[in-house]
Amino acid sequence: MSTHDLITVHLKVWRQNGPNDRGHFEDYTLKDITTHMSFLEMLDVLNENLMKEKKTPVEFDHDCREGICGSCNLVINGIPHGPQMRTAACQLHMRHFKDNETITIEPWRAKAFPIIKDLVVDRNAFDRIMEAGGYVTMATGNAPDANAVPISKVEADSAMDYAVCIGCGACVASCPNSSASLFTGAKIAQLAKLPQGAPERKKRVIAMVEQMEKEGFGDCSNYGECEAVCPVGISISAIATMRTEYVKALF
Amino acid sequence: MASFSNLLQTTVGRKILTGVTGIFLILFLVAHLAGNLTLFAGDGGEAFNLYAVFLHDLGPLLWIAELGLIILFGLHAYIGIKIYLGKKKARPVDYTYYQSQGGPSKQTFASKTMLISGMVILLFVILHVLHFKYNFFMPQMMVDNPAGGQMIDLAGHVEQAFLNPWIMLAYTAVMLLIGLHLKHGVWSAFISLGAKNPKLVPVLYTVGGIVAALLAVGFLIIPVFIFFNGGLL
Amino acid sequence: MEVASKKSTFKWDSKIPTGPLTEKWKTHKNNIKLVNPSNKRKYNIIVVGTGLAGASAAASLGELGYNVKAFCIQDSARRAHSIAAQGGINAAKNYANDGDSVWRLFYDTIKGGDYRSREANVYRLAEVSNSIIDQCVAQGVPFARDYGGMLVNRSFGGAQLSRTFYARGQTGQQLLLGAYSSLMKTIKSGKVKMFTREEMLDLVTVDGVSKGIISRNLVTGKINRHAADAVLLCTGGYGNVFYLSTNAKNSNVTAAWRCYRKGALFGNPSFTQIHPTCIPVSGEYQSKLTLMSESLRNDGRVWVPKAKNDKRHPNDIPEDERDYYLERIYPSFGNLVPRDVASRNAKNVCDEGRGVGPSGLAVYLDFRDAIKRDSEQAIRERYGNLFEMYEKITDENPYKVPMRIYPAVHYTMGGLWVDYNLMTTVPGLFALGEANFSDHGANRLGASALMQGLADGYFVIPYTVGDYLSGITPGDVNTDHEAFDQAEKAIVGEIEKLLNIKGEKTILDFHRQLGKIMWDKVGMSRDEKGLNEAIAEISALRKEFWENVFVPGEPATYNKYLEYAMRVADFIELGELMARDALARPESCGGHFREESKTPEGEAKRDDENYAYVSAWEFKGVDTPPVHHEEPLVFENVKLTQRSYK
Repeated sequence: MSTHDLITVHLKVWRQNGPNDRGHFEDYTLKDITTHMSFLEMLDVLNENLMKEKKTPVEFDHDCREGICGSCNLVINGIPHGPQMRTAACQLHMRHFKDNETITIEPWRAKAFPIIKDLVVDRNAFDRIMEAGGYVTMATGNAPDANAVPISKVEADSAMDYAVCIGCGACVASCPNSSASLFTGAKIAQLAKLPQGAPERKKRVIAMVEQMEKEGFGDCSNYGECEAVCPVGISISAIATMRTEYVKALF
Repeated sequence: MASFSNLLQTTVGRKILTGVTGIFLILFLVAHLAGNLTLFAGDGGEAFNLYAVFLHDLGPLLWIAELGLIILFGLHAYIGIKIYLGKKKARPVDYTYYQSQGGPSKQTFASKTMLISGMVILLFVILHVLHFKYNFFMPQMMVDNPAGGQMIDLAGHVEQAFLNPWIMLAYTAVMLLIGLHLKHGVWSAFISLGAKNPKLVPVLYTVGGIVAALLAVGFLIIPVFIFFNGGLL
Repeated sequence: MEVASKKSTFKWDSKIPTGPLTEKWKTHKNNIKLVNPSNKRKYNIIVVGTGLAGASAAASLGELGYNVKAFCIQDSARRAHSIAAQGGINAAKNYANDGDSVWRLFYDTIKGGDYRSREANVYRLAEVSNSIIDQCVAQGVPFARDYGGMLVNRSFGGAQLSRTFYARGQTGQQLLLGAYSSLMKTIKSGKVKMFTREEMLDLVTVDGVSKGIISRNLVTGKINRHAADAVLLCTGGYGNVFYLSTNAKNSNVTAAWRCYRKGALFGNPSFTQIHPTCIPVSGEYQSKLTLMSESLRNDGRVWVPKAKNDKRHPNDIPEDERDYYLERIYPSFGNLVPRDVASRNAKNVCDEGRGVGPSGLAVYLDFRDAIKRDSEQAIRERYGNLFEMYEKITDENPYKVPMRIYPAVHYTMGGLWVDYNLMTTVPGLFALGEANFSDHGANRLGASALMQGLADGYFVIPYTVGDYLSGITPGDVNTDHEAFDQAEKAIVGEIEKLLNIKGEKTILDFHRQLGKIMWDKVGMSRDEKGLNEAIAEISALRKEFWENVFVPGEPATYNKYLEYAMRVADFIELGELMARDALARPESCGGHFREESKTPEGEAKRDDENYAYVSAWEFKGVDTPPVHHEEPLVFENVKLTQRSYK
């Protein structure tokens, strides 16, 4: 049975009152944090303490707290979702931090993800990229039998590898150029692997890539940082697939 | 709509152009290296000089090739600079504290210095051309052509240059920088041009490193050899 | 204590079509009224929530040509909590050639629900299940396949057939992303307008008919009015009334509760599913519970020490001092008994003082024997990602040490009462998915929640909403109507009131306190005394909340704790109703276990003679007990039997 260790942490938290506020860091110290706590539970404690002092709590996005909804968007000590690989911030536990460690918490930073308040950002740009073409055009009810088109296990598994994207935006946050290529590439690659995605593949890749551009995301320099911080470990090969799809669309 | 004319308008198009121009530039380097290695033929540089004559005699074809190279080079550099300038636009407020996650990340000294290494290479190429093609820094030398008449003694020119320790060192340093640029560049070109298999990704990174190292060593061995050998074979 | 007010003469009709069970839906579709294609664009429909039910409904209705406004409280429609469903989705495809059929799926579902759901609804659900799989595959959902390229199925939740389709351990995510992609496509086409970070706070009714909603923009705090000819509530379940549950932190009952307060009956509020395999609570700070897929019980053996308070390391407890209690009590089903049975037994052994772990509220789920039998590699292939997740959370390696698990609130079968057309008792207000009182009766089988959400959204509501709309004039009420004035004023007043209490306790304090009452007294086993206490305690908690809560910040900004305060206020009222409902049903059925109604061996005992009905509650005011209605359940096609897993 593992033991509960109690640690003290010093937080440097980004506070920003609204989109037009300049923002600043505020320092907080939390004592007696058990190492079994999740990172977000530690922030809950911070907020409870603040409210007991009648202060305004820190706003941060969270929902499922099991690493699948993609709401969390904390840059912890300079790394989106923190130090543990393949882990969303909500699944990160305090046992990964040392006693008396100073932890810096910032929101995702990108022009395309404007800050709403404190650590909360607006990620609707992702929705608009999906709207541009991240779907198969078919109306409810006119689908053939599910087994009418065989899809080899290899292709289906590969499509699934890209389909698991949780849309959190860590790829953008970690990218030195703020590129959304991994997010966009993952959807394009998923649908490129499946026969259902074939009829509109050209239209899709062009529309999604152009939307990505319009949203103000940066260029991809193949740094691969996106793959390293992706909580579900999507491979940079998604980006390569997006590019080959794009080249095919030229002809 | 996607078309070749607006490839420059999207991040994906730009990256494809970077990859394509990069691959052509690598091919150029390979050809250039092959030519350079004739210096080791042991004939005092005759094969090398004949190769230069052959190229020179191509006439208009050479001009076209040169023009092509200038376009490749210019486009490659232009996009690189544009991407760099786009960084600030895409993230107007930067992180106060930022670090790499490591693991599969390819954020290395090489990848983070692409712009700097690229700029130095650009500068080098200009000087290099002035140096050996337009004889800016040394008078042209002539030698007997075995086929009759005279030909430019480019090999002698090279030999003389690299006996100078400063030129030798400068060239060696730049070749190392080219290696660094290619360490990220070769891999990046693979990814930009469609290395779709996730299992291939780490393999390609290693391959990229090897190609970069071979080219760098292949080029820098010439000045180093000439200097320490006290001249050509 | 008075459980319920006197019965009123409320008029309601479940609208179940006549005719043989297998023909009801077909006949109904043939008979319901249609809206002319060119008229569809004149109708406005509001869809609240973008989970499986909401996203599929909004997309399908948009495709038909209606003007749809879709709302979600998250920053993107894709984050609805359907995304967290792991296991799979049932369908009667019979691809496994093991004798499955629509009838069998229907029968298993109605039996699994312990005969507290409608035959006609459940049959329809089974009937449309196959179309759902077709639909999802066509959208590009990468279900698991075999090397020949065909879809594969697994058995799930103790079913005797392999009828569960799955996409690794992320079936909910993939189905939701499929529905979300259809929604995005329909938004692109201009037929759906999406409102993210916008929370419905009230239903606007005119003469008792649903005419729109009041919402709050969660970014700016602005209160908005939206008029519509029909409102579809797809807002999920209310498991967070227990504070700790497997639900997402923002899952709430507010939209449904406000509809209840505007006249929609609430069906079977006390029917809650407690899932047996969750990671146990590790401390007071715990904010949510994480489910470990039920599939683990296929290979893991559940046990506790025979002795009380045995604090030895599990690996030091010899075989003959272990009690594999599920295998002992239920020799034929063993570790694969349905969720309600597994949960109750875990509670029993812990109540006996034989629970394990620091809190004593956990049992072991041990893979030692499976690893010995099939190798660690085989187990890793089957459950690798789950074991990884377990280790991330607990810092224990389940390959070496048995997992510790404990039941947790997972799903609520109760919800707004709806008729066969999914319309509530408020005309024009529909409820879909987990938000309605559902087809799962008193207990939901594994892999059937996804099925129901998508059935409602893709294949039921597109037909039935037209039946309603064809009978009304489109756009007869706009947002200038005084009903909107009043509703908006009430919401603004409520927000002001909350912010001005400036009490001493945090919202979380109240939520935790409510959760504890609910878990202890309205949880896995219930009795009259405890339920009466719960009603009194919750009522007192409600009063204290409105006097002593501290809600921080301003109304007109992003303010998550203000949202939270409104949701907890509604949970408190709901908790009381749940206790009343549990009290009004002295029988045990499915997930609802009354200590007063059990067999001599301690198993749940149904009372079909007196309680084969749906409870539906009518709001009469916060301080007035609600009215209890009964919709009798008629079983013409299945024989009611006592469930036995011995």
